[in-house]
Amino acid sequence: MRYLEDMILKLGSVDRRYIFLLIGLAVLIPLLRPIDLPIRTTPTTEKVYNAIAEIPANSKVLMSFDYGPSTKPEIHPMTLGVMRQLLREDHQIYITCLWPDGLYMALDALEEINQEFELVEYEDYVLLGFRPGNEAIVKGLASDLRKVYTVDYKQTMLADIPMMDGINNLKDFQFIFTGSAGYPGTFEWVQYGGDPTGVPLSSGTTSIQVNEVMPYVQSGQVRGILAGMPGAAEYEKLIGTPGIAIQGMAAQSFAHLVIVLFIVLGNLAYFITERRERKY
Amino acid sequence: MFLKRYIPIGIVAFFGSLTLFGWFIDNESVEAFVNDDATQWYDIIASFAIFLGALNLLKLQFLKVLKRQSGWQYSVVAIASFFFAFTIGFFMKGAFFVGEEVYFTQGAAEQAILASGSAETVKAVEWGAHISTEGGLFKWMFDNIFTPLSATMFALLAFYVASASYRAFRARNFEATLLLLAGIIIMLGRVPVGSLITPWMVMYLLVFVGTIFMANYFKDRKIIFGSFVIGLLGVTALGISMDWNPTEPAIFFLPSLQEWIYTVPNLAGARAIMIGIGLGIIVTSLRYIFGLEKSYIGDQ
Amino acid sequence: MAFSTIFGAWIAAFLTLGILSYLYRDNPFYKIAEHVFVGVSAAYWAATFYWTQIYPNLFGRLFPKDGPLSFIAEVDFNHDFNILYLFPLLLGIMMLLSIFKQFNWMARWGIAYTVGIAAGLKAYGYLSSNVLSQISASAVDIFGGSLPIFSMSGDSVFNNIVILVGTISALMYFYFSREQTGSYGKFTRLGIYFLMISFGASFGFAVMGRISLLIGRFNDLILFSSPDYNYGTYWMMLFIVLILGFWSFQNPEKKEG
Repeated sequence: MRYLEDMILKLGSVDRRYIFLLIGLAVLIPLLRPIDLPIRTTPTTEKVYNAIAEIPANSKVLMSFDYGPSTKPEIHPMTLGVMRQLLREDHQIYITCLWPDGLYMALDALEEINQEFELVEYEDYVLLGFRPGNEAIVKGLASDLRKVYTVDYKQTMLADIPMMDGINNLKDFQFIFTGSAGYPGTFEWVQYGGDPTGVPLSSGTTSIQVNEVMPYVQSGQVRGILAGMPGAAEYEKLIGTPGIAIQGMAAQSFAHLVIVLFIVLGNLAYFITERRERKY
Repeated sequence: MFLKRYIPIGIVAFFGSLTLFGWFIDNESVEAFVNDDATQWYDIIASFAIFLGALNLLKLQFLKVLKRQSGWQYSVVAIASFFFAFTIGFFMKGAFFVGEEVYFTQGAAEQAILASGSAETVKAVEWGAHISTEGGLFKWMFDNIFTPLSATMFALLAFYVASASYRAFRARNFEATLLLLAGIIIMLGRVPVGSLITPWMVMYLLVFVGTIFMANYFKDRKIIFGSFVIGLLGVTALGISMDWNPTEPAIFFLPSLQEWIYTVPNLAGARAIMIGIGLGIIVTSLRYIFGLEKSYIGDQ
Repeated sequence: MAFSTIFGAWIAAFLTLGILSYLYRDNPFYKIAEHVFVGVSAAYWAATFYWTQIYPNLFGRLFPKDGPLSFIAEVDFNHDFNILYLFPLLLGIMMLLSIFKQFNWMARWGIAYTVGIAAGLKAYGYLSSNVLSQISASAVDIFGGSLPIFSMSGDSVFNNIVILVGTISALMYFYFSREQTGSYGKFTRLGIYFLMISFGASFGFAVMGRISLLIGRFNDLILFSSPDYNYGTYWMMLFIVLILGFWSFQNPEKKEG
């Protein structure tokens, strides 16, 4: 027993680079040797799926790409999944970006979706582009979209885009979805977009932001939430199109197991040290 | 004093009040100004602030190089990178179309036409559109330089969170234990591996941990061993009676337990924090508008 | 695959591995990657903000086609001339001039404007969505309709009671104007427990989020190690490991204590 305790104590003082190596391997190995694990959907993800499924036919949906490359692994699968579900129901997609990087995320998403759906610009989607101003932009969109955007991302006048006819503010959309990585994002869309206009709103967020947004989900201000990469994996399962989120779940699972093991080992070492100090 | 102090305070008071009361005033010109022009000015000034930040950065890096401070060579790298990206963003369109193909330079596009012998002409994108053109030079810089750097900086944190979990997170008291348990249940319950851990495994583990805990309070080994055996038999009997259901009892099934923690006690705490922060922000905003808070001009 | 794509992938792999090399120890590759990031991101943000906001929305309104100032420049975004936009231009120029020490104070006007607008926006937004809506969401009919007594997910009487008690006790904990002793102290202690559960959940989600980001980077490195990209990851890894090994040999780590 004492030998075991000494071993645990020794592990407790190991160079942190070994910990880095273990975590790196825990993530890398399942990516190189994929393992299929069962995905179980949660009610909050199902709410998003159902909210989108309930949108009236041939609706106009606003999608906001409020994330960048640093959070792409979590949110990009969500936005791809939502676009797939919307396009399958022949809804029209209008894309705005509160983050400058969001524009490039939108371009990447459109390029990938185009391979499946053969999108026609200005018939299936309009990419309005990025405007700086955070919540001021959302407020502006709620009031008069055409003052915020006079041209799309290609500098084409909105007045020359037939798909923009009748779109003057947020109330002209039937649904809003935001893929949000922080500020500006879900909070701003709820406070200045969804709540004042009453347009139904759903969101996909990074895992870190989920807890902050949860009260909005329970109160109905946000219709469900896609919570990080696991949420994206659940959504991919619901729409029946596996993607990078499902592929990453094995790596995510093993990494979590390793970290839980670290926490348990670290606390065991702590308790052993405490007990020995009490004895002496 | 008037220009440096009273005018800024006046600007905050005037525009802050106008924006706040603009939510309640039913006047077309006020609403139009508050909703559209005021917010546009906000965006424009924010954009100039970015330029100020870039200029400050250049100033600091240049000073470091001129004074030959420690690490000045890296400042040269920073300055060179800045001018590289600045040139691409402001002086090079970087996107010349020949049909559907995109080329970084006009020369390359013309060469492609000569090589293919086609009758196509070179079409340059408009200024402004060049930063968002797929296949253009600015997008290339974003994809191959900015993205890997930005993403990897954040990804580094995964390693540090693992290291912190091992070295720093200790169940020193009841509150810390509650925090760690909630974190562990969420981490395991949210991922697929959580549903592979049956409730029976968890119950056996609890019997084992409970016995270790009892050993701290009871010296009589018969009591400890007896409790352990009773616990094991109890769980086994329950398992047999429920046919070893892989998801019941739900309270010991990690995904279900995680869902309850996430949507009930966690929600209560998160809601309290949200309301508390909301009240704080309202008060702070009003303090700024009334001129009681002057930290933005360097006052205490 | 185009040369620019392969070359770009090699650069991406080099920069990614350079940043990751910090896990071993602070080294020149990391410092180079870090300073490239600093330089490129400053210019990238400046370019993006200029072409998406200043050029169309400011210059487009000061120098529209056929406007009174069109003799200076013409920026056609279908806007009408609006002389009021000289105000943000003035504030913006003052902001830029503040880089000089004697004009430091000039930035205060622009900052004051943004602070004022943000204060006005946030006061209402947070009051409406974060305070009033959340309070009304907590004040539910606990025994409403045909709710079950208990359920692990979804509404139930027990869950509603826990949410209400938890929210009130946690909020009361933040009331520091009264000493938290006696029964009041016991109730706020309960609030602390709810907050701890919330922080624990946040910790769990934070770990989840960070691991997801690492998965994304490894996916890219795996992609760049394929023959399509001429095994870029492997070559860059070999280059960095060899140089770093030699550098570590020349600069041994100072042992603490």
